[in-house]
Amino acid sequence: MNGSEQLLKRLPNDIGGLEAPKIEQTDHDLLPWEKRCHALADILDFHKIINTEEKRRGVEALGSEMVGKLTYYERWIATFANIAFQKQLITPEELAKKMAEVEARWRSHI
Amino acid sequence: MTAHEDHDHDHGTEHEHPHSPIETTDKPGYYDIMEQAFQELMIEKGYIGADKIRHQIEVLDSRNPALGAKVVARAWTDPDFRARLLQNGRTACEELGITFYDLTELIVLENTPSVHNLIVCTLCSCYPRPVLGLPPDWYKAKPYRARAVYEPRKVLAEFGTIIPDDVEVRVSDSTAIQRYLVLPMRPDGTDQMSEEELASLVTRDAMIGVIPVKPPTRGASS
Repeated sequence: MNGSEQLLKRLPNDIGGLEAPKIEQTDHDLLPWEKRCHALADILDFHKIINTEEKRRGVEALGSEMVGKLTYYERWIATFANIAFQKQLITPEELAKKMAEVEARWRSHI
Repeated sequence: MTAHEDHDHDHGTEHEHPHSPIETTDKPGYYDIMEQAFQELMIEKGYIGADKIRHQIEVLDSRNPALGAKVVARAWTDPDFRARLLQNGRTACEELGITFYDLTELIVLENTPSVHNLIVCTLCSCYPRPVLGLPPDWYKAKPYRARAVYEPRKVLAEFGTIIPDDVEVRVSDSTAIQRYLVLPMRPDGTDQMSEEELASLVTRDAMIGVIPVKPPTRGASS
């Protein structure tokens, strides 16, 4: 089962029925940005900008390495950015510029 | 309760980082900055209203398993409501003032002496959020999603729930638009209890279907 065909047969989200370890009954309170990200997801869905199924497929399109290494909400925000680029709602340059602005604003407040 | 904070034992694809205490003086992380920037851009360009996200955070904060517990207690005490709930979960919840802020449908699955229901979302993390709030991390992690569909009895045993062999176990797999809620069995010894008292017995995990609703105990805190 280590062949590359396995990557085609099972996309990263398609794990129902696979062997897996014991369930650890974990939970955590969302970080403020995680909660914002969740609310953002709902708003994008309500406004039919990015719906829940598009988001799920977008996460899967990140590929198994990113799905494995990013946390739950990290995958979501990365996916929203990718889909917004594809739909030409925003450009990568605009996002990069705005991220630099947000960071600069934080620096100016400390 | 089942919360174990910063308890990171997941070796599957659902890597969750333990997080450090929230301090506003910390430099925001890369993804935190990305979220802020993305949101601001979408607002600037007029795709979403400036107050929408803040309002939705309030909506999310207002949802928790107490709402689901209220629905269950009503179903236990009002047979007509129970029938409507099983017919259409969404409209019955709306009768109790629980608004559905999304387009999802809700199917309520009734546990009986011969059938035990369990809900899962194998593909991601779909969950009846309007009535239960956000799902616990274990519901979103690989072990539960992978195993619930092929060895539900073993999964249930890990939650301390042993289902007799002559009871059928049904597992329902959620989708983006189709969500489920388990209507647990009313425990024995609760005939004299009020609807409110009954609701206090009903837990999140019982409405996911991983544990039964336990009869009232005297003095025990757990």
